[in-house]
Amino acid sequence: MKRQDNGTPRYGFTTWQQTCLITSTLIGVGVLTLPRTSSSRLLEAGWMAPLVGSLGAYISIWMIAKLSRRFPGMTFVEYSPLVWASKESPKLGKLLSIPWIFVYLSFIYVATGMVSRIFGEVVVTSVLLNTPLEVIMITMFLLAFFLSLHDVDVVARVNEILFPLIIFPVLFIAIASFQKADWSYLFPLIRVSGKSIFEGAYEAVYSFSGFEIMLIFYAFTQHNSGKEKAGFVGILMTMVVYTLIVVAGITVFGYEELQRLTWPTLELVKTTQVPGLILERLESAFLAVWVAAVFTTVANAYYAVIYGLRQCFNKGMVFQRIASAFLFIPLFFIALIPQNIVEIFQISSYIGIGNLVLNLGVPTIYWIVLFLRGKAGIPKERKADG
Amino acid sequence: MDKRWSYLCLLLLCLSFLAGCWDRRELEERASVLAIAIDAGGEDEERYRVTVQIPIPIKIAGSSGQGGGGNSNAVKVMSVTGRTITDATNNLQLRLNQRLFLGHTRVVAISEEIAREGIEDILDGFRREALIRRLLWPIIVKGKASSLLEIKPQLAQIPVVFIMDLVENGRKMGTIPDKTLGDYLNETSNKSMQPFLNYVEATKREVKWIGTAIFHDHKMVGSLTPIQTWSLMQLRNQKRGGDVIMPLAGQEDAYVTLRPRFVDTNLTIQPNKFKGGGLEAVFSCEVQGDIMEYVPGNIRFASPEKFIEAMQKELKQEMEKRARQMIQKLQKHNSDVLKLGLHLRSYHFHDYWVHHDWNKAFKDFPIRVEYTIKLRRLGMEMEQ
Repeated sequence: MKRQDNGTPRYGFTTWQQTCLITSTLIGVGVLTLPRTSSSRLLEAGWMAPLVGSLGAYISIWMIAKLSRRFPGMTFVEYSPLVWASKESPKLGKLLSIPWIFVYLSFIYVATGMVSRIFGEVVVTSVLLNTPLEVIMITMFLLAFFLSLHDVDVVARVNEILFPLIIFPVLFIAIASFQKADWSYLFPLIRVSGKSIFEGAYEAVYSFSGFEIMLIFYAFTQHNSGKEKAGFVGILMTMVVYTLIVVAGITVFGYEELQRLTWPTLELVKTTQVPGLILERLESAFLAVWVAAVFTTVANAYYAVIYGLRQCFNKGMVFQRIASAFLFIPLFFIALIPQNIVEIFQISSYIGIGNLVLNLGVPTIYWIVLFLRGKAGIPKERKADG
Repeated sequence: MDKRWSYLCLLLLCLSFLAGCWDRRELEERASVLAIAIDAGGEDEERYRVTVQIPIPIKIAGSSGQGGGGNSNAVKVMSVTGRTITDATNNLQLRLNQRLFLGHTRVVAISEEIAREGIEDILDGFRREALIRRLLWPIIVKGKASSLLEIKPQLAQIPVVFIMDLVENGRKMGTIPDKTLGDYLNETSNKSMQPFLNYVEATKREVKWIGTAIFHDHKMVGSLTPIQTWSLMQLRNQKRGGDVIMPLAGQEDAYVTLRPRFVDTNLTIQPNKFKGGGLEAVFSCEVQGDIMEYVPGNIRFASPEKFIEAMQKELKQEMEKRARQMIQKLQKHNSDVLKLGLHLRSYHFHDYWVHHDWNKAFKDFPIRVEYTIKLRRLGMEMEQ
């Protein structure tokens, strides 16, 4: 396989940048609906959903990180052919790896469309009541497009700088709303069966999708950086934030009322009074900051898709720029497919489950294949056991 | 060449600072509704009569030179009927030159008549409307709800502001419960408790807080007097409630006044000792307070210690009596606003909640109240 002509040497993401990348990608539109979805089955014990729902993500990110250790400096697109066939038959490798790459990229692509749609729905229903949904979505696409014009290192730096802007408002809302909390709402601790804890956790899984972009971005990490550590810490931070938000939602509203709220976290912001009353209407400020959270989700995923495509076709920066401009058109129409809010939530729930299957399934298959072909050894490191 | 391009970019960048909102609306260009009052319509199909209060910005003192003057002219009160609340607001829009804006609504007054029929239908629209704040105050009005918007309080330019201050101040002093729309919605959704709302009465000039209205399944079923509401607040929210003015036993025109400072309530569920079997709820409420007034005319105690001891005993009995009356009323109306059901569901789920239908069980659930009065000070006076 011909090495593509990058021109510049590959940039090395630090561990912290990887962590930021993962956390800010994970925290997106899911946080607005999470208290409702996670308490729909689990009732008072809804806060367990992010804890249980993240289990799959930990395992998956660990496998993805190990894959990247096995093929250092390579993206998923680059190492797939090496997994499926030996170096001597690149054609076969490419042929065999295309379905996987295609499934992954198109999945991330569609998921990105749904994220931007949900973002548009929130903005249209709560703050900009007269603005067409399409305009909001296109603005978000333009932002993502702008990021796609740049190199990978820009993505890392943007995520690093937006990270506090994403995590602190959500933490602040969760903690500030505890002053209205009634802790009795959290009890009885366990009333549902163990089986439905896992069923209920399904609902939270959607909020943990998005870290699969690391299939691409791990390639740009510094060699001695802790990829696994970054993955774990990134998901752990997300999990903590999510759990806090769900606890806040349940203790303020009670699980019955949560089921009736379309955007529980937004309502949480609305009912939270900040001491001092600097801002009486916090939700506009919160949504303004939350745009950053959605932006990192949409733009990172979109960038990963574009970069994957670029590598598929062995093209350079120009291709990336042109492709990112044109790929928004189908994305726009994909995002407009769901006809109403109920359909949106249904689809995003399916995406969540599909994502879990994909993220757990594909790395597992890859490791099994590597193992069977006797190539599972990680260069100058301990043996991986898949 | 490069320089020219960068100048152009800079120019374009400057343009972005000059841009405004393309669909902006000035403050004067919208009719901000401060309060909504909902009455029964009367006419055949038109179920509701909706009255709104809209401030007139130019007449509010301070906003322009003319200010002051007859203060109640600073608002316009309009009334309209409709089949639903949204229908009525749409009908109202037909009579207005500016767009109605509900984002600033702070008070929703609902007449007792409507409340007794049930307010679920009314609140559905409020639930869906994104502009409505969950922090606004629904208030039940004795008589016509629109009378609340027509008062002329004189102490505030806008009547609604007067009502808001009244509630807000009471909330700060711990005498009026802070019941927002959000609280109401949470409590009606919750299957283990019932909501209550503030209950007021309006005369031509004034408005008066007369306790709380208690609900069962969205329907108002009864009301608590202010004294009963204070007992409720002490047991439910650990709020201090108002002063306790107790007539002294065996004397005429003799009263003692307790001002509660701190209230600490513990709810324990324990096996019923008296009636055998089952559980009983015991509210142990500790009130710390001061004596603010003591007008017995002639009787003086031998020593301050004796006085405090005797007062604590009498006040305890009085407070327990009040709480008992309040609980009897709640049980009569089958409205668990005490959050007792929530406590049972949370901490006695497997041994009680799953076997009982709280809707029926609350009526006969044994509840005891035990007050502990701790008199801390006697005011500025040392002699009893």
